[in-house]
Amino acid sequence: MNIQSRFDDDIAGSFSAAPGPIEQVRYACALGALTSVIAIEGAIPISHCGPGCASKQFHALSGISGYQGGEFHVPSTNIGNKEVIFGGADRLDELIASTLKVMEAELYVVQSGCIPGLVGDDVANVVQSYQRRGVPIVFAETLGYRGTNFTGHETVVRAILDQYVAKQAGPAPRSQKRLVNVWSLLPYQNPFWRGDLTEIRRILEGIGLTVNILFGPASEGLAEWRAIPSAALNLVLSPWLGLATARHLESVYGQPFLHVPAVPIGAQATSAFLRQVAEELDLDSGPVEAFITREERDYYHYLRDFAHFYAGCTSQYQLPSEVNIVGESAYALSLARFFVGDLGLNPGVIVLTENPPEHERETIHRSFRDLAPGIDGEPVFEADGHRAHAVIRAKPRIGELPLLFGSTWEAGVAQEIGAPLVEISYPATDEVVIARSYVGYRGALQLLERTYTTVVRQSTEENPETAAL
Amino acid sequence: MAINLRTPQAETRDQRLGTITQWQGSARQLAQDSTFTYACGRDCGPGGRRLCELSSPYSQASMCAEQIAVTNATIIKDTVVIQHSPIGCASSQSFTSRYSRDLAARRGWKPEDPKSICTNLSEQDMVFGGVDRLAQTIREAYARHHPRVIFVATSCATGIIGDDVDGTARQLEEEIGIPVVALHCEGFKSRHWSSGWDVIEHGILRRLVPNRPTEKRGDLINVIHLGGPDVFSPLLNPIGLKVNLVMGGNSLERLADLSTAAATVTMCFVLSYLATGLEQEYGVPEIRAPLPYGLDATDAWLRDIARLTQREHLVEAVIAAERERIAPELKRLRGLLAGKRGFVAAGAAFAHGLIADLRELGITVDDAFSFHHDPTTDSGDAEQDSLGHLVQSTGDVPNFTVSPDQHFQAHAAILRAKPDFVICRHSGSMAILAGRMGIPVLPIFYSNDGLGYEGLITIGRAILRVLPRRRFYAQIAEHSRFPYQDWWLNETDPYALSAEAAE
Repeated sequence: MNIQSRFDDDIAGSFSAAPGPIEQVRYACALGALTSVIAIEGAIPISHCGPGCASKQFHALSGISGYQGGEFHVPSTNIGNKEVIFGGADRLDELIASTLKVMEAELYVVQSGCIPGLVGDDVANVVQSYQRRGVPIVFAETLGYRGTNFTGHETVVRAILDQYVAKQAGPAPRSQKRLVNVWSLLPYQNPFWRGDLTEIRRILEGIGLTVNILFGPASEGLAEWRAIPSAALNLVLSPWLGLATARHLESVYGQPFLHVPAVPIGAQATSAFLRQVAEELDLDSGPVEAFITREERDYYHYLRDFAHFYAGCTSQYQLPSEVNIVGESAYALSLARFFVGDLGLNPGVIVLTENPPEHERETIHRSFRDLAPGIDGEPVFEADGHRAHAVIRAKPRIGELPLLFGSTWEAGVAQEIGAPLVEISYPATDEVVIARSYVGYRGALQLLERTYTTVVRQSTEENPETAAL
Repeated sequence: MAINLRTPQAETRDQRLGTITQWQGSARQLAQDSTFTYACGRDCGPGGRRLCELSSPYSQASMCAEQIAVTNATIIKDTVVIQHSPIGCASSQSFTSRYSRDLAARRGWKPEDPKSICTNLSEQDMVFGGVDRLAQTIREAYARHHPRVIFVATSCATGIIGDDVDGTARQLEEEIGIPVVALHCEGFKSRHWSSGWDVIEHGILRRLVPNRPTEKRGDLINVIHLGGPDVFSPLLNPIGLKVNLVMGGNSLERLADLSTAAATVTMCFVLSYLATGLEQEYGVPEIRAPLPYGLDATDAWLRDIARLTQREHLVEAVIAAERERIAPELKRLRGLLAGKRGFVAAGAAFAHGLIADLRELGITVDDAFSFHHDPTTDSGDAEQDSLGHLVQSTGDVPNFTVSPDQHFQAHAAILRAKPDFVICRHSGSMAILAGRMGIPVLPIFYSNDGLGYEGLITIGRAILRVLPRRRFYAQIAEHSRFPYQDWWLNETDPYALSAEAAE
């Protein structure tokens, strides 16, 4: 068995061009995908890397961004001088053996960082010796210099699919007509992933589907992963992340996939999305429409009342007219569609920060067309904060009142252009996030609450005389 | 053992001080064995033996020197830090940004994002070398921000592929005309992250502290601290001393003043490399008195400072006034905290200080968890033996565990201790561990909180604030479970897995 899948090489190839120096870092390295493992109930990463690598990735992604928490007591070889000089395979072997003695998990995912890649440890061989003994353990080569936590996520997912899911004993899985696998937001990188995946699960179940959401508190954990081959459809709900996985599953299990680039926000997008999925799976339209009707009734009831504020019942706030976004392409696309298409704002600067693979960029760019009929967004790919901010400053804004969705790094530039800042991307150090969601029907309303609370507070701070009235 | 400033690379503390990260026994034994290991200063009676470090087959993700070095370089104003590394090393920038803004708020500075740039190395650079990217990034950093100093921090990857960082730094320094200071902080090189303090202090000493022999100031005292509010001026101004507060965020001017001061105090001996270096290079005497945790130690510390700066005639009045000032509140706190059991988890000298504070407040401390242990300090002076001093002045700590922030070992140690609360630093894993075990926790982010007379009040009040949170943590403990096997969940010996006993 070739434990190092070709897929890793593909991902690496697509990332090979480093984009130059980066200020105000907005993602982690491939090893950071250990957070994807932590997001799977019952799975534990085993990291083979330097002493600070694993905790730095975890605390950056989870600790300081949204204060998300998560189970972090990750076994690590904490490579020192000795392993750099003499090789670290023996130390990894010792660590795995002791992990099995101390920890309790359904699946162990060994992840290697920069050092074993550079000194040439044969990690695959060490892991294979445990696999031969029936230990549920897989190996994902997540060398830090070879990719980001996005590509690392695909590497980890692929390792679990090929070395764990595909190796399950028993008869070949039977396709279940109403079971779907969802590949969507990157856990931890997007501070709202837990609430969002919960809402995505809820709406898909609402139209009668069974859902493998795979990550987070709404997931049944590894039982869902083992059921992946039985699904009738892979639903890729993101601009590009997950496409490689879906293509792979198509080739292995003959599963079709449906690619919906924008995670839907608001009733218009969500209802359209549900109808698209229903059609793809040939669902009976009766229950689907019944669910949509019920959800829309609630949603538009709240939206009607929000319209009092939006129409200006107290008329003291200057409501934004232009939406600017600095963030990962998934949320950037969804927010742009919602604020332009549903709220009637004009598209401003849209900066996509996650350094997606070159060959996916055209597709991503295309997905920003027709945010509203005839109105296109013009996204810029830029991982460096300094250059991103230059783009924001350079845009002429004649008569526009800008709103900015971004990360903590945007606080300064938001102030410069006079925009309220709503933190939606990594790092979000000034948001405490628990179960909040910004997608689907219910999430959209929370997004409006957060956005316009920010607008009101900023407006109040800037206009002391208004506040004093 | 002199500090060697001729080489750009600081010798690790493993080599210089014999730092260990894994040990357990009683504090008394550890202090005794330490003095045996590094020549007798005092208290080295018969029975001591060379320190023998334990090892564990199981280990969990820890921290590295790079993070300490980079964080503390980044918060020096008017500088840019370049992390010469793959992108992951720089993911801590978000933390540094939050820290920097919080620090600014506490010190009354204008909050702004610290400037740090990652060279963002990829696989090609691993093959062909990354020095061209480094040169490009240094030029870019200068063009963007016009800093007065640029730091270049290495990473495990650049250390292994052998990039000539010093050569590139020198070359670019000539080109752009400002100091470009290399920080050699590859994480794999030291077993303990605190070596990162030595790295940044080494860089400061070598490059940013000019010798100004004609500008000596008798009223200026360098205070080297881990970071946080200035609790020193209120103590030292009354005896006519001005505080030059460095590390934990400062300006280049403050660093440039270091060589002109009358003396240097270090608020945690883990950071004493800089103080010892200042004495060695510029004759600025290093205060060796035990750290000011607890009343008597604070008295002695102030007296030592007064002695070295010729202010003995002023100090007794200050001591008396301070003691009197805090006496009623100290009495109240002692009354409320009497009978409580505390568990201390922090790094070496800082842990020793916290234990002294808690004991001064009337709290029982029989268990401590130290993230590393330095058998000696760079000065080699037995006066700085903070553990020995703790044991002599306040008694033994029967369960003293040294462990580099290992979650599984801390679980066993806390289970054994059954404390009423945990007080900890490096709260990333310790704080939530205690909370998950149903125990109220006081994380100490700003390590100056426990210092001096006021520190007793600050810490005492903070403990009282967290004790009622047991109501919250009890729920969490009841409704969550760590993924350890049952036998480990019940284990109370942190080193039960270790092959060797402490011989």
